[in-house]
Amino acid sequence: MLSRVRGKWSYLAIAALLLFLIIIPFKWFLGQYTVILIFIGIHTMVTVGLCLLMGYTGQISLGQAAFYGLGAYFSAVLTKTHGFNPWLAMLVAALATGGFAYAIGFPIFRLRGNYLALATLGLGIIMAVLFRELDQFTGGPTGITGIPYLSIGGFTFDSPFRRYFLVWFFCLAVLLVSQNIVRSRTGRALRAVHGSESAAESVGINVAQFKVKVFVLSAVYASLAGSLYAHHITYVNPSPFGFLFSVMVVVMAVVGGLASVWGAIFGAATVRILSDEILLRFGEWDVIVYGLILVLVMVFMPRGLFVALKEAYERWRLTHRQRGAEA
Amino acid sequence: MSGPILETRGVTKAFGGLVAVDNVDVGIEAGRVTAVIGPNGAGKTTLFNLITGVYPVSSGEIRFDGVPLDNMPTHKRAALGIARTFQNVLLFGNMTVLENVMSGQHPRSRYGFLEAALRLPKSRREEETITLNAIKYLNLVGLGLYAQRDALSLPLGQQKLLAIARALATEPKLLLLDEPGAGLNRLEKQELGDLIRRIREMGITTVLVEHDMDLVMGIAEWVIVLDSGRKIAEGTASQVQRDKRVIAAYLGEEVE
Ligand SMILES: Nc1ncnc2c1ncn2[C@@H]1O[C@H](COP(=O)(O)OP(=O)(O)O)[C@@H](O)[C@H]1O
Ligand SMILES: [Mg+2]
Repeated sequence: MLSRVRGKWSYLAIAALLLFLIIIPFKWFLGQYTVILIFIGIHTMVTVGLCLLMGYTGQISLGQAAFYGLGAYFSAVLTKTHGFNPWLAMLVAALATGGFAYAIGFPIFRLRGNYLALATLGLGIIMAVLFRELDQFTGGPTGITGIPYLSIGGFTFDSPFRRYFLVWFFCLAVLLVSQNIVRSRTGRALRAVHGSESAAESVGINVAQFKVKVFVLSAVYASLAGSLYAHHITYVNPSPFGFLFSVMVVVMAVVGGLASVWGAIFGAATVRILSDEILLRFGEWDVIVYGLILVLVMVFMPRGLFVALKEAYERWRLTHRQRGAEA
Repeated sequence: MSGPILETRGVTKAFGGLVAVDNVDVGIEAGRVTAVIGPNGAGKTTLFNLITGVYPVSSGEIRFDGVPLDNMPTHKRAALGIARTFQNVLLFGNMTVLENVMSGQHPRSRYGFLEAALRLPKSRREEETITLNAIKYLNLVGLGLYAQRDALSLPLGQQKLLAIARALATEPKLLLLDEPGAGLNRLEKQELGDLIRRIREMGITTVLVEHDMDLVMGIAEWVIVLDSGRKIAEGTASQVQRDKRVIAAYLGEEVE
């Protein structure tokens, strides 16, 4: 009964969020934030993947930028150099990136803890170097320009206003799919792997396979986000796909709450706004500030900003009510 | 008796120089409750780990239901019908009581990432069955009231019952219980004995490691004694209690 009531509230909350998201990009509302919200949507997609991997399955990755970059570069190269339809390119990018994650997944997930962190870190660094050095495919440090916009029939996503809806359509789809997975047999299996690998195996869960599958899923999310990025700003170069982005995704996931799907939006929004408005002033030192945020959030809000705020609100309401009763 | 459901032949496990299980032959009769006893470090847990495939055997052979297990991974053995509990319980601490048992239904359900992602009808149907079965096993061990609690908020005795419910939810033919009675009080041990009898009536073959000889006498139809990795005796509880080698093995160890 209680859960049914809660279910109703969460539908209402989702409806409110949806309405809010729809009216944001209009000039008379928050139109000036359209571009930053496009980035928040793109980052959210990458962050949710990491939440499934880290928060639910307990496996760290410091290399998500690799998959994000693969998605962007596949889309860029296939459309620009090989004349693919952008949607087809996006699909091929997701399949190829997922396939790549699958291929490296089995050897990588023989490792645990710090070794896994190092291996994924290495993966990110190697891919960043390849994006820069494989001139003949990637255009080297200058990258690839003139990537076409996505379009449906005659309708081209050629303005931020239009792309905002495109990106958030994908973002919400990814969030919804992730929520469904979390609340399923598969989601339980992922959490079981996190809880105890020995016990998970003892109830018939193929631990290695589930780790790799969720890794592939996170790679596919990142690849889709990368493709959307490429078709949004229409050029790619190596710099957005380096170590810093992988760190940023970890910070976003932690701030949003590792074991929370919808929290990813809050994590992505908080970190993105912070980095655009404040961290720019730190120049090269920004990675240190990210580290600091990471540590502070882990220590003071281990379940993320979203949960921390909710709990603070509930505490406030409780004391408020008590005062009301006393008066 | 319908013959052994599990047979080990010359099973040996060495950790470096230490032979934890040494050339052990056992046959576990189907439908019976068998106890494995022996002093600490005798190799009881290691034997369970070999049967469930946590480690490969150094030498020897294990057959379950006539099938040689060889290098079959643990999760496949669970699907074949071998379930277990752990000496250190190992519940899923990030789940509720009910979800722990629902996880046990994993090998008896099929739907995967795609059906879950799109919430296809198959996933909803299976999820309903999984939930109903989980509640059934939870009630069987008497924890129905605590379904929505966090698993680790239960006291130890109930955590151990929950671990048994999770193992039963895999719908096993063979259930291995590693010291289910350790840390329980007298009343809890009595209830554990009753539960094991009920599990036996369900037709599930049970093997348990247990130190409490009263409990063993009360429920085990056959007792296997290990010492320093070797099988030193087997028989009914009263037979092994009179066995000279068994008494010698336990010298210095407290026999309850
Ligand atoms: N993974 C392992 N690595 C090394 N030695 C082990 C391992 N597991 C068990 N042992 C050793 O094997 C022996 C038997 O242990 P165990 O099977 O746990 O005994 P029991 O369950 O009968 O108390 C002990 O000496 C123990 O230290
Ligand atoms: Mg033991």
